[in-house]
Amino acid sequence: MAADDLMSSQKSHRTRKSGPTMRKKSEIDKKKRGVADNKQPNPRAFSVRSVVKAKRLKIRAVEKEQRRIHLPTADRTYGEPPPFVVVVQGPPGVGKSLVIKSLVKHFTHQNVPEVRGPITIVQGKKKRIQFVECPNDINGMIDCAKVADLAILLIDGSYGFEMETFEFLNIMQVHGFPKVMGVLTHLDKFKDVKKLRKTKQRLKHRFWTEIYNGAKLFYLSGLIHGKYSQREVLNLSRFISVIKFHPLSWRTSHPYVLADRLEDVTPPEKIQMDKKCDRNITLYGYLRGCNLKKGMKVHIAGVGDYSLAGVTALPDPCPLPSAAKKKGLRDREKLFYAPMSGIGDLLYDKDAVYININDHLVQYSKTDEVNGEPANKGRGKDVGEDLVKSLQNTKYSVDEKLEKTFINLFGKKTSASSERKLEEDAQSSPEGSDTESSEEFQSGDEVDDHEMDVDSNDGKIKEKTELRGGRLRRKAIFKDEVDLTSSATALINENNEISDDEDFFKPKGEHSKNLGGGLDAGHVNSEDCSKFVNYGNLKNWKEKEVCEDIRDRFTTGDWSKAALRNKNSVAGDEGEDDELYGDFEDLETGEKHNDHENMESGTNEDVEAAERRLKKLALRAKFDAQYPFSLQCHHLSILSTISFALEDDDNDNGDGINPRNSEAKEPGFVDKLKEELEIRKQMNLLELNDLDEDTRIEIEGYRTGTYLRLEIHNVPYEMVDFFDPCHPVLIGGIGFGEDSAGYMQARLKKHRWHKKVLKTRDPIIVSIGWRRYQTIPVYAIEDRNGRHRMLKYTPEHMHCLAMFWGPLVPPNTGFVAFQNLSTNQTGFRITATSVVLEYNHQTHIAKKIKLVGHPCKIKKNTAFIKDMFTSDLEIARFEGSSVRTVSGIRGQVKKAGKNMLDNNAQEGIARCTFEDQIKMSDIVFLRAWTPVEVPQFYNPLTTALQPRDKTWTGMKTFRELRSEHNIPIPVNKDSLYKPIERKTKKFNPLVIPKKLQAELPFASKPKNKPARKRPDLDARRAVVMEPEERKAHAIVQHYKLMSKVKINKKKAKEQEKRKAYEAEKAKKEVISKKRNREERRERYRTEDKQKKKMRRGQD
Amino acid sequence: MGKTTYKRLKGSQSFRQRLLLATLSSTPIIIDEIRADDMIPGLLRHEMSLLRLFETVSDDCVVEVNETGTRLKYKPGIIMGGKNLVHSCALTRSMGYYLEPLLVLGLFGKKPLSIRLKGVTDDPKDLSVDTIRNATLHILKRFGVPSEGLDLKIEARGVAPEGGGEVLLTVPNVQSLTAVQWVEEGMVKKIRGWTFSARVSSNFEHSMRFAARGIFNNLLPDVHIFNDHKSGPAAGKSPGYGISLVAETTAGCYISADTAVSCGRTEETGEIDVERRERKPAEDTGVEIASCLLQEIEKGGVVDSTHQGLLFILCALCQQDVSKVRVGTLSPHGVETLRNLKEFLGVTFSFRPDPSTGTVILTCVGSGLINLSRKLS
Repeated sequence: MAADDLMSSQKSHRTRKSGPTMRKKSEIDKKKRGVADNKQPNPRAFSVRSVVKAKRLKIRAVEKEQRRIHLPTADRTYGEPPPFVVVVQGPPGVGKSLVIKSLVKHFTHQNVPEVRGPITIVQGKKKRIQFVECPNDINGMIDCAKVADLAILLIDGSYGFEMETFEFLNIMQVHGFPKVMGVLTHLDKFKDVKKLRKTKQRLKHRFWTEIYNGAKLFYLSGLIHGKYSQREVLNLSRFISVIKFHPLSWRTSHPYVLADRLEDVTPPEKIQMDKKCDRNITLYGYLRGCNLKKGMKVHIAGVGDYSLAGVTALPDPCPLPSAAKKKGLRDREKLFYAPMSGIGDLLYDKDAVYININDHLVQYSKTDEVNGEPANKGRGKDVGEDLVKSLQNTKYSVDEKLEKTFINLFGKKTSASSERKLEEDAQSSPEGSDTESSEEFQSGDEVDDHEMDVDSNDGKIKEKTELRGGRLRRKAIFKDEVDLTSSATALINENNEISDDEDFFKPKGEHSKNLGGGLDAGHVNSEDCSKFVNYGNLKNWKEKEVCEDIRDRFTTGDWSKAALRNKNSVAGDEGEDDELYGDFEDLETGEKHNDHENMESGTNEDVEAAERRLKKLALRAKFDAQYPFSLQCHHLSILSTISFALEDDDNDNGDGINPRNSEAKEPGFVDKLKEELEIRKQMNLLELNDLDEDTRIEIEGYRTGTYLRLEIHNVPYEMVDFFDPCHPVLIGGIGFGEDSAGYMQARLKKHRWHKKVLKTRDPIIVSIGWRRYQTIPVYAIEDRNGRHRMLKYTPEHMHCLAMFWGPLVPPNTGFVAFQNLSTNQTGFRITATSVVLEYNHQTHIAKKIKLVGHPCKIKKNTAFIKDMFTSDLEIARFEGSSVRTVSGIRGQVKKAGKNMLDNNAQEGIARCTFEDQIKMSDIVFLRAWTPVEVPQFYNPLTTALQPRDKTWTGMKTFRELRSEHNIPIPVNKDSLYKPIERKTKKFNPLVIPKKLQAELPFASKPKNKPARKRPDLDARRAVVMEPEERKAHAIVQHYKLMSKVKINKKKAKEQEKRKAYEAEKAKKEVISKKRNREERRERYRTEDKQKKKMRRGQD
Repeated sequence: MGKTTYKRLKGSQSFRQRLLLATLSSTPIIIDEIRADDMIPGLLRHEMSLLRLFETVSDDCVVEVNETGTRLKYKPGIIMGGKNLVHSCALTRSMGYYLEPLLVLGLFGKKPLSIRLKGVTDDPKDLSVDTIRNATLHILKRFGVPSEGLDLKIEARGVAPEGGGEVLLTVPNVQSLTAVQWVEEGMVKKIRGWTFSARVSSNFEHSMRFAARGIFNNLLPDVHIFNDHKSGPAAGKSPGYGISLVAETTAGCYISADTAVSCGRTEETGEIDVERRERKPAEDTGVEIASCLLQEIEKGGVVDSTHQGLLFILCALCQQDVSKVRVGTLSPHGVETLRNLKEFLGVTFSFRPDPSTGTVILTCVGSGLINLSRKLS
């Protein structure tokens, strides 16, 4: 019983409805019931099961593959790559300098007191980095975005993203998107771990939407002793060092230099005469982008266009270590170079360079250890040490000496003089310092000079290496500086000048002959004829012997001799690597030979072999490019490959195709292209390496990666006066035709974050190519028929066309537009982004025009229209164009109607014909299109010629001017809406002619009764009531009166009541309002308190 | 950009190349002292005509010539190209004078060029239209110019005094030219020739052909000379005949020689009258041109001396890759071209003489000129 009770109280068994057991059971059950199992009994693991699925997978794979492929671009950088520019950008106070300092410290073990200007460091055996801190104004951001290879965006994690970050990203996107890495700082402000994690997540995803999913966002968790933690900096540096940079099209086609040093080399006398005279400056920096040729024009960002007065290649101040087989960098190879930052021993000043020796450094070199010193490359180490030691033996500190020294203002040999002064001071007493007159350098036991001639075309420069302050310094002494001979530019014109000088007076013809100085007696007016045939000394080709001379030039001659002709010629004068060349040059024509069967087998093989060899080279180079760290040095490898290839060429004949090649399934189009480009590059390299240095520079210009000294004459003095090392100085080369101005057509879109639409003819500031300038665009949109219709405003969310005047850039160049460059502006400063489509000498924008006229005379279907045109000439222009009246009658302009109107001499009356007669009250319209002029205005931004904290102002917009001068917006009175007043039309009575009336049927006939003179009888008769009637009438009248009075009384009462009620209501309302306010106030107070409490709790 | 700085040049020498290179590199130029001391000072008629041609092909170019014509101010515009253009050339020079710069100019236009030129088709001073069609266009193709759209159609002949010839030139536009490694001369595998006669008996042609073939017989069997006898309106306004020979080598080089003889009476007084010689028999002309061709072949090089200038210009206009070409003895025109290229494009050539064959190998890095005016699609 009890058991039963228990049983009943227990829960009933619930069968499982899921899980592996159940699945098994159900399967068994299904089998029992004979239901077919839809699963395959023995699924195959590695073969196709579903064709559709397989197909889909394959398609996806192919698509992915295709998406990966980019059109290969020719890489024309042959030498050592220049240091990569790493721009560190972020809003103010986010820790940009500290990141740079930490990274420099990490890479070189040097402390940077202050980050000013680019800092170049040697990061690895094959890699150098140039750190640039992006200034906080938009001009600096633009210039930085144009040179950055990698942008490190610093973001204040505790605050979140700021506009500067997004602005910078947008600028970069437009000017070719370099690599981007985000770094979150200020993460130690978070107390709550969970909140920190959430914030990281949120910021990361926001960052991803802006760049791409998976973009690297790095976290710097906080400061330890005012520095970022070493481990994190190490990690960051690793991320920086593995980033691969890809070429950007604008930059690979234009040379540019990010100057890391600027010096004023104006003759001091000139400055003394006039402080505001135009200056000559020299700029130093690594050449990037593409090769720089001598006569090239350059644009200095924020200054203007200049032609280079002189270019010289200087020895690299921060060279890569020699390519020895070893792991990692030695300490002495960890060089850094930052002339503007004043680190190391160099203090950069406007007109001089000082050596800055810290106390601890003095101590340091006293002990005989050289380990920590940078840039000692072996030579004359001991002498340098001696020098440094001698410096230490002085009684006076450097500061004291500096105070007492005469500061050589405007010295031409700036660095030299100041240096020597220091040195003299070190030895003698500080007073006797004014011995500037001696121009020669003291070269003796104190200074160990190594002079090396770097011969360039425009004047010799001497390189002078000396060991100073524990650092190897190479000074470029220019010939003109030493012996004051003609400058670089003068040398070019040497020929002419010399001839001028030698004999001043000359017969006229002779003089001009010299100018031409040609083969053909060089007459300047010689005939322009490409044919040069001398019929006089033709050989007699009829003779057999004469013919035999050129027999081998014909297919009837000896083929082997002919093949030799080519080979020998090259072998004859090429020397060591002749064999290589001989084969190599067959390449181009190799295919052509192949289609001749009677071609000798020997040459055929040669051709094939050469081809194979080049392909191999190309492959190898490609491999090198892919795995740059696995090889020692590019050049060496190529050279060795060449010799290697030569050796095993014979062995190679057998196995034919390269194993790599055969492995690849089928070389696709892209691979072929890549190979072609690589072969071309190898050819170029071979050709160029064959030349000596001078000719090479003459032919291809300075290679990228060389450290250049650019001399520029006649820049405004403001550039030197307001020079701020914190702002990057960008010098960009200008290509052919890019210095002339013209109209450009661009596809423009208002930035989605800019709040207002842009107005046609409001000046905008664009950053395009290297330049920044203000211009006046006219916006337009293309109609269906190809017409460009002017738009008053840009569309809200659509692309439109923009035409503007400015220096031309090649099509497909992006640009970014601003309206205001001030830093204190709230909101997003970028107003539009755009891409140039084409350029032209004129614009084809049209806008609608509506000419309005009134008829002055109407004859049947012809009407004479006045007020539409002002002159007959104007009418002639519009002959044949269609017009329309308001009522919809269409017509055409025929001719000026002057003669046709009798005695009307007024000009501008047009004869028009219409499809129907128009009325005098009609208004006639002519709708046409009129071309719109784009203003020829462009104003380069000269931000480098004013204090950097000042905002550049150019042309103002209408709105700005109006608000400045308090001018109201003009109102066209005619455009205002007014209440329409319509008079009631009074129609005249219908008049039907008598004749017609007579014919009408009676029903339609107007029944006109003549007006009666006297009222009719009905109206006139008097009514006399009976007494009963009168009584009844009186009673009715009384009742009416009574009810009227009653109603009136009722109304009055009601009104009174309502008044009372309303008064009551108003009273109540006032009270309730008061109460509500109190209530609300209380509620807010408590809410606020709560919030504060919560916040406190979070922190 | 308010003030344009002009490049200052002197004299009328290499007028065509200066204009061409100034246009391509968009450098404004001023040429002074054009024949200032000559009997007939200033620009000649064909030079003015060339300026007009540049104006038709390009937009917004500014040409200013002073009263005497001794000073020219030229500010290049944008090369437009385009269809249905017509230009009537001055009759003082033949079409080859105009076509040489036009071929290069057309490549860098905004739209493909199609222009009809009217005037003198052949004369002894310049390249004949046959040569341009059969040799010059092949040189262009070497530099990556697509062969479709590159054509010269000779619609009517016209010789010296009166002209009346008409040709239709179509040139495609390119983004950029590709560098060449063109040192292999190859062997002459065939010789083709084109003779023409206009308003004269076709006997002249036959005798020229016969004589020319006679020269080649010793060397090559594959010689074919086509004749082209014109009459009626297609023969132009003056009588004359001419020949153009092109040798094609196994390496795809084309070496040419040509001339034309005008039988018309020249009524004009001027240089032509002074220079005028006794007219040679047609056989002699044939022999002369055939010998010229053999002479050119003997000199070596991948192009003949007449085309050297064009070859150098094309090399200099290539992408920034190394071009390497072999030419025979440098002609004065070629040297002049090299100077102009250095002046306008900053392209320097390096020479390597090849004493065993008497040729010169020139190497240069192209200026990397790209066709900027082509519209972005």
